[in-house]
Parts: sequence; C-alpha cells; structure tokens
Amino acid sequence: MGRIALLYRLILRPLFRQPGRALVILFAVALGDAAVVAIDLAGDAAAGSFHSSMETLAGKDDFEVTAAGGLPEAIVGQIARLPYALGVSPRIEDHAMVVANGETVPLIGVDVVAEANNAGTIIKDATAAQGIEHINDPDAVWVTSGLGKAIGDRIQLLINDHAREYVVRGLIPDSAQMGTDAILMDIGAAQLATGKSGRVDRILIKAPDSGNFETWQSKLQQALPKGVLNAQGAETAANRRMLAAFRWNLRMLSGIALLVGAFLIYNAVSVSVVRRRADIGTMRALGAGRGAVMGAFLLEAALFGTVGSLAALPLGRMLAAGAVGMLSTTVNALYVSSRPGAMTISAGSVVLALVAGIGVAVGSALAPAREASRVPPTEAMARGRREFEVRVERKRDAAIALVLAVLGTLAALGPPIGGKPLLGYLSALLFVASTALLAPLVVYRATSAGSIWLRRLLGVEALLASRSLGGSLRRTAVLVAALATAIAMMTSVGIMVGSFRQTVLTWLDSELPADLYLAPSGAMGGDLHPTIAPEVADRIAATPGVESVSRLRAYEIQYQGLPASLAGASQGRQAPRQSLTFLSRRPSADILRELAAGDNAVVSEPFAYKHHVRAGETITLPLGEQRVTFKVIDIFYDYGHEAGYIVLNWDTLRRYLPNSAPTNLAVYLTPGADSKRTRAEIQKAIANQSLMMLSNGEIRQQAIRVFDQTFAITYAVEAISILVAIGGVAGALISIVMDRRREFGVLRYLGGTSVQIRKLILFEAGLIGILANILGVVLGYVLSLVLVYVINKQSFGWTIQFHWPVAVLLGSLSLVYVATVLAGLFPARLAVRLDPMEVVHEE
Amino acid sequence: MPNQSETPTPLLAFDHVGKDYTNAGERTRALDDVSLEISSRRFVAVMGRSGCGKSTLLHLAGALDFPTTGHVRLDGIATNQLREAGLTKLRREKIGFVFQSFQLLHTLSAIENVEVPLLLAGEANARSKAMERLADVGLDGLAHRMVHQLSGGQMQRVAIARALVHTPRLILADEPTGNLDTATGNAILELLQRVCSDHQVTILMATHSEEASVVADTIVRMRDGRIVEERS
Repeated sequence: MGRIALLYRLILRPLFRQPGRALVILFAVALGDAAVVAIDLAGDAAAGSFHSSMETLAGKDDFEVTAAGGLPEAIVGQIARLPYALGVSPRIEDHAMVVANGETVPLIGVDVVAEANNAGTIIKDATAAQGIEHINDPDAVWVTSGLGKAIGDRIQLLINDHAREYVVRGLIPDSAQMGTDAILMDIGAAQLATGKSGRVDRILIKAPDSGNFETWQSKLQQALPKGVLNAQGAETAANRRMLAAFRWNLRMLSGIALLVGAFLIYNAVSVSVVRRRADIGTMRALGAGRGAVMGAFLLEAALFGTVGSLAALPLGRMLAAGAVGMLSTTVNALYVSSRPGAMTISAGSVVLALVAGIGVAVGSALAPAREASRVPPTEAMARGRREFEVRVERKRDAAIALVLAVLGTLAALGPPIGGKPLLGYLSALLFVASTALLAPLVVYRATSAGSIWLRRLLGVEALLASRSLGGSLRRTAVLVAALATAIAMMTSVGIMVGSFRQTVLTWLDSELPADLYLAPSGAMGGDLHPTIAPEVADRIAATPGVESVSRLRAYEIQYQGLPASLAGASQGRQAPRQSLTFLSRRPSADILRELAAGDNAVVSEPFAYKHHVRAGETITLPLGEQRVTFKVIDIFYDYGHEAGYIVLNWDTLRRYLPNSAPTNLAVYLTPGADSKRTRAEIQKAIANQSLMMLSNGEIRQQAIRVFDQTFAITYAVEAISILVAIGGVAGALISIVMDRRREFGVLRYLGGTSVQIRKLILFEAGLIGILANILGVVLGYVLSLVLVYVINKQSFGWTIQFHWPVAVLLGSLSLVYVATVLAGLFPARLAVRLDPMEVVHEE
Repeated sequence: MPNQSETPTPLLAFDHVGKDYTNAGERTRALDDVSLEISSRRFVAVMGRSGCGKSTLLHLAGALDFPTTGHVRLDGIATNQLREAGLTKLRREKIGFVFQSFQLLHTLSAIENVEVPLLLAGEANARSKAMERLADVGLDGLAHRMVHQLSGGQMQRVAIARALVHTPRLILADEPTGNLDTATGNAILELLQRVCSDHQVTILMATHSEEASVVADTIVRMRDGRIVEERS
C-alpha cells in the first residue's frame, strides 16, 4: 500500500499535472513501437502469402519431385508402377494473367480424374460436383470465386505470350482457403497451354500410413533420379529462407524508430529524476528504501511502455496497410511473385508490441531510475538545486564512446552468423551508442567555443541559447543524440540507397547493349519466366533493320535449399556488345567464348556469395531427370535478382533441357537502321503474340522505377523515426521552457521583449538541429559503410560502389532542420506567455 | 545626501493605489489606498511582515503589474497607460532589479550576466560598460567566473552591477539581503547606499532587515496592504 502511495505521489500525480509531457513520451513510444508492429504485419502479409495457393492445392502430401525445367512425364508412370500404395499427383505449375484486370494468378494443371478420387484435396472440392465432364476440353478452367466468375462465363487468359479465351467450368469454393486466387486446368490442357507437352513441373507423393517418413524417403530416392525428391513444402521453406534476410533488415530498420523513442524515454525519465530530487530526498527521509524509489521510476517507464504499446497496435495496423503495398512491390520484383495476404493483429503481434514497447521503455529508464535510487535523504534540504549541478561525466563518457567505436569497428569486420549479419547490426548499435555517449562532450565543446561567435553574429539570444544548451547537458545531449540517431539513419540509408541506385544505373548501362528487348507481357515477378514461342525469334531476326537476336531462357530452380534462376543465353553475332562485368575483370567476350566450350557456367555475385562458390569450382544441378556438374568459370555483377543467377550457354542448356522457347529476346539493330521503323516492323512480326517490347532506355527507366518503389518502404520507416525525434524535440523544448521559466521571467525583468524570448527558444531548437545534423551525418556516414560493406554484403551478396547522393541528402537534412526549428514554435509561444512576476517569485 | 527639494516632481508616485488579486474566485486585497511619493536619488526601505504588500508595491513600481484602483507614475508617466513595447522600454531604460535569490543566469559568467540588459537593448560597448559596473561593486577581478563559482555575497554584487549597468533612474530591490548572512547582508546594504549616492539613482527596497533603517533615507512601514508609517 505504501509503495502504491509512493508511486502515486512521486510518479503519477506529477504526470497528471503535466499531461503534455506524458503525451509526448507516449507519442514517442507508440509511434516507434507502431513502426515495428507495422513492418512485422506488412512483412507477414507481403511475404507470407506467396506460397499459399500452390501449397494449399497440394493437399497433405509427404514428398514432391521437382527438377529445373520440369520432369519427363514418364517419371509419373515410373513412380506409379512402384510396388507401393502411393498417392501420385503430377502437376503443371505456372502463372496466367487475367486480361480483363491485369491480375497475375497461379495456374495449376492437375490430373482432375485422379485428384477427384483423392479425398480431402481442394481439387476434389472444386471439381467433383461441377464440370468434371469437361475435363477433356482444352478450354475448361476452374477458378476461385474471388475472380468474380460464374460457371459458363468466359475468361481471357494470357499464358506465356499467348492470350486465349477459356470457359469457367467450376468454381473453387471459399472454403478452400487458398489465400489467393488461382486457376485450375486439367493437366493435359495445362501442358498444352504452357508449352510443356510431355513434361510436368512437380509430382506430389503421398506415402502410405505404414512406415515412417525416412523409410519412404529412402525407398523413393532409390527409385528416382538423384536430387529430385524433396519433402513437401521445400520450395516454400526455401523462399522463406531467402526472404528472411530481407525481412530481418526491415525489422532492424523499424527498430531504429523504437531506438529513437528509447532516447526520448531516457531523456524524459532522466529529467524527471533531476526535477524531483527534492521530492525523492523527502521520500527517502521519510523512510522509502532505494528499491522502492527505483521501482517507482521503472514502473513509470513500464506504464508508458504498456499504454504506448497498446496505442501502437491500432496505429501499427494502420501504418501496415500503407506499407504492405510497398513491400509487395519489392517481394515481387526481387523475390517471388506474390499477392499481399490478409493482415491480422494476432496474439504474436500483441506480444511483439508489448515486449518491444515495455522492454525499450523499462530498459531506457534503468539508468535514471538507478540514479534516483541513489539520491540521499539530505537532498530534501537542497532547495533550488538546478539541473546544471547534476554532473555529466563528459570525459568519462567520451572515453567509453571511443571504446565502443573500436568495438563497433571490430564487430563490422566479423563474419555473418547463421547467414545473418548479426555482427553488422551489433556494430551499428555500438556506433549509435558511441555517438550518444560522445554527444555531451560535443554539445559542451561546441556551445562553449561557439557562443561568443554566435553572440557576435546573431545577438544575445544566440549567446543565451547556446549557453543554455551547454548548461543543461543532461537533457540537451540526449536530445541531440536522439535526433542525431534519426538523422544518421536517414543519412546512412540515403547513402546506401543512393550508392545502390548509382551502382544499378552503371550496371544497367553495361547490361543493356541491345537496342530492343522483348518478353511476354503477362505474368511479372522475379521468379516468373513466361516463354515466347520459339519461332518468334526467327521472325524478328528476319525483319529488315535487325542485325541479330539473342535468346535467353530462364528457369526457377532450387540450389542447396535456396531458390535461384538458371538461364541459358545465346550470344548472337554481337558478342562484343554483350558486356557483362565480371569480378575477375576479364573481357566478357573471352569468358562468353569459354562458356560455350563445354559444361561451363558463370554465376551472379549474390549466388556466389550465398553458396560460397568461387571461380574454378563446380556446381551440380538437377536438370530434368539428370544431375549435371558445371564448372564455374567466372562470377558476374548482377543487381536484378537477389536469389542469384546461374548462366549457361544457350546450346549447353538446351542439351539438358530441350525446350527451345526463350523467355527473353534481345534485338540488335543494324548500325544506321531507322529504329522507329524497325520497331514498327518487329511489332508487325509479333502481332499474334502478347509481347512487351522495350528499348534499352525504357528498360532502364522501368528498372529504376521498380528500384525506387522497392526502397519507398525504407523512406517511410525513416520518416517515422524522424517524426518521433522531432516530436521528442518539441516535447523536450516544452519541458525546457517549463524548467527555465524563471530564466525567461528574469529576462523580461531585464528588458527582454517577447520577440527576443521567442528567438531564444528558436535558436535553441536551431542549435539542437545543427548539432544533431553534424553528429548525425558523421554517424550516418559510418553507418552507411556498415550498411554497404557489411550488412548488405552479408545479407544479399551485392557489391555496391560507394556514392554520396549529395542533393538528396542536402534536401533531407534541410527539411529535418526546418522541422526541428518549427518544433520550437509552440514551446516559444509558451515561454512568451509566462508571467515574469509569477515565475520569478514562485521560488 | 541629496536634498528632496531639488526635484519638485517625484520620480515615483503612488496615488491612492489599490491592488486586488483573485485566487480561486476569492478576492484578496494586496494594497489598499496606498499613496507614496519618492523623489530622485532617495534610498527608500519598505518594511513589514511577509504578505504585507511590499513585493506588490515593487511590482507596481516596476510596471510589471498594474493597480486595480489609483495610479502609479514613473517619471510622470502612468504605467497603466503604456503598451507592451512602452513598458519594455521603460524597464530597459529606467529600472533595475535586484532580487532576494539573485536571479543570475547560471550558464553565463559574471561579466556576461551584467552585460545582458545592454545586449537585450542592443547597446554598443556592452562589455566595457559591464566591466565598469563590476569594478564599481569590486568584482572586476572575478568577471569571468561562472556564477556557481561565486559566493552568495558576490552573486548579489553581480546582480547589483547588472541592475546598474544601463544607468537606470530607479532600482527595485526585493529582499536583497534575505539569502545572505548578516555581515554579507550589511555589506550589500552599504553597497546599495553607495550606489544610490555615486550613481544618483533612486532605490526602493523591500526588506525585513532592521539594519536597512540605518542606510535608508526613508523608511516606509506597511501592514495589511497599507502604509502605516513613513519616516525620513
């Protein structure tokens, strides 16, 4: 009971008396925590649903048989003939675009008759009652109800480069809970529509109930080509593993907003301890123990954490709604085609919000609460104690900062742990902590050295503002550190994204030697490779003005449990113009010649990094029913696909995967040819195909647009951190005004005008902004090195050329600076409204 | 000691001044029909118990507050007729303040504290003028010390130098010895007396200190918001 009274008198009552201060702290916790919740929810929604259609439709099978480029149909019979009671479901898996709305949906081809007898599958639910009599009709499709079609309706689908009308023969009920729309066809019709005659993409196997999983795995492995048998869901697991790094980095980014909030909580509790020293002393004199005092302040922080976290849940849900679109763009462009799933605040989200919010709040209040517990009872008598009397150990803190910076550097040099750049994150955190500890010395030195100069330049208000900042280091240094952290994050991510963008632009310049590029206009996504009819390349090659056409065929494969793209590229007659940039810096023409000379491959940098492959080593790939070993002759820079590319010569690929349909064409025009006319001629030649033709300039633009969309989410999270920090500045300035009201009163006595008082506060805000900008840019530069050379490299394997995006940075920094100064407007207004008599005499 | 008859118009005049404060709907009369005339270069001590109206009298004299009834005239100008800018100008040019708890700005050095009124008024040569005033109070040797490095008596000297720096006509001192020991307090009173004569400035001092009666030209005793005795 006594402790509750202590908590109420020492903590709650002052809070109720200053609701503004409480609201600012709650704002910081809630917004920072909301960023974490939003990224988590949006990440789940954007990345979590991509597998659902394929997986749900798969039913509850045990194994799956897959290989790059699919498997010969004969293997289905081979498995079915095994002397076991296996459930065998061959499938074609592809994508189709619904022409009417441009939506890309999974297209699944199944053996409808066999599936209908396999109890419990969606196929049975979808087809058993409706339309099964149409299975031999090549136009028959079964669609999910979300596509808004009724039985008998017609639906125009673009599959690969060919658009055609199909008839809806059945509806897949909502009860299927597939999580996304899909289109079902009988496997024969699907093979025809996707150009995969004689092959299947996946064979699902349900083992009999007798015997354990390992026994059946062993039996099946003996009967099947090596490397094609996997546990069911392996692809989903592989995709999830690949997306893990992306989501980890986003989580870390969202954590920064919470970290900025932590600074502000530390500041608020710290100031509250300083303010209430006399009260604490009185309580101690009256018998309150150290533990009780510390507990009271920690409870205050926990209270902020709890209320802030609860507010963060709906706020995070709202922010997530905006973030999910941005994340989906990234997931689609760089990883796998997906559609955002539903967003729900689960028990997990609530736990995350509470743990993050309360944890950060209590953690950041620990030091000031400990200080409160050490206030001696004699403080009750120490009337008029002011903040400047509380010592800030500037030099000791600076020495610790130096040690932390050294540790940060060492951590940055460490290897990834479990494939994650954990030491990179630790390094970033150590540098942030180092800067926070250096802030008091920087603020003190800057305000001491700069005050005379400021007075000469800007007048007495600047002198007073500067001295006041230096005089209340306890408060201002934390404020500067909080804002500097947010600015550093903005700067470092700005430099990283700017460097990445510049690297991609340079890469695109060298990667797009052809004049025109063609691809099917349907399904888009990092993992989708719709094909072009084989004869199209020849038709284009025969068009006047065209010198040659290069073909590229890509397949989505799995390598060592991770997805990757396998491609075969024909050189055409323009090999010298194809200028892939290799890590070895050897001329690309030499490498491409070597590539054609046998079972050789070149791999992209992200692939090499993820799988620890070096030039001269070999990789073994399951191609169809074979396992083929290729020698990696070099590694090339690539920024298009995070999963990574393995590139073979066109003829080498076709030797193992005979499908001759390319997925992309690169067209080289005859020097001097009229590009407009030639383009029009090509358009005529491909009139029957749904192909997208883009010039290299248009591709460049499109790639950069996708790039910018990809990083939009990082800017959104940055904006939240900046908002938290600026809100914190406004709150802290209000607090400063309240604590220094006596000083403002005296200034009015001494002839200070309200304009001068207002200027003083705005100068303080401006100085906080300048110091935070300077510290933030320096810290941001250091963090950008960690981001570019450690976190990015260890997460994705990309080599990024360092680049200062000067204009973007200057613009952002100016904007933050103006916002910081504007944050001083309301506190300035409060200061001006103070009654000098009242505030001077209240002591 | 200057002769009162040399200045026929009083520097500061209270003309039937009444001052009411309302707190939580309850009206309190702080000053009740106070009339007082103070000529230039006089040292006037206002004495009385806490709550008798001394501070209110000083606030009205400093144009920080305005009478509910009657008029306060400073140099012939009724303070309640001035707008905000005029009041600030009046304080900048004609009034200096000395407080019981010194009210120095702790982030500034002694000399910087003294400079502040001049800097706020945008005057030139602030540093040299401030140094002269610090010399007047015997603290030119400690000019660059920070406030917290000074003793209570030294702080009050700095405050007096600050009150003098813009050559005001009136210094309002509210319990200037209240936070000091007797010896230091007496020294401050002597300093104020010297300032009054050397700088030809009028001092209106609210005090509990009986020692003040020794240095002041006029003693005004107050009780319950009224002047009960005025003795020269």
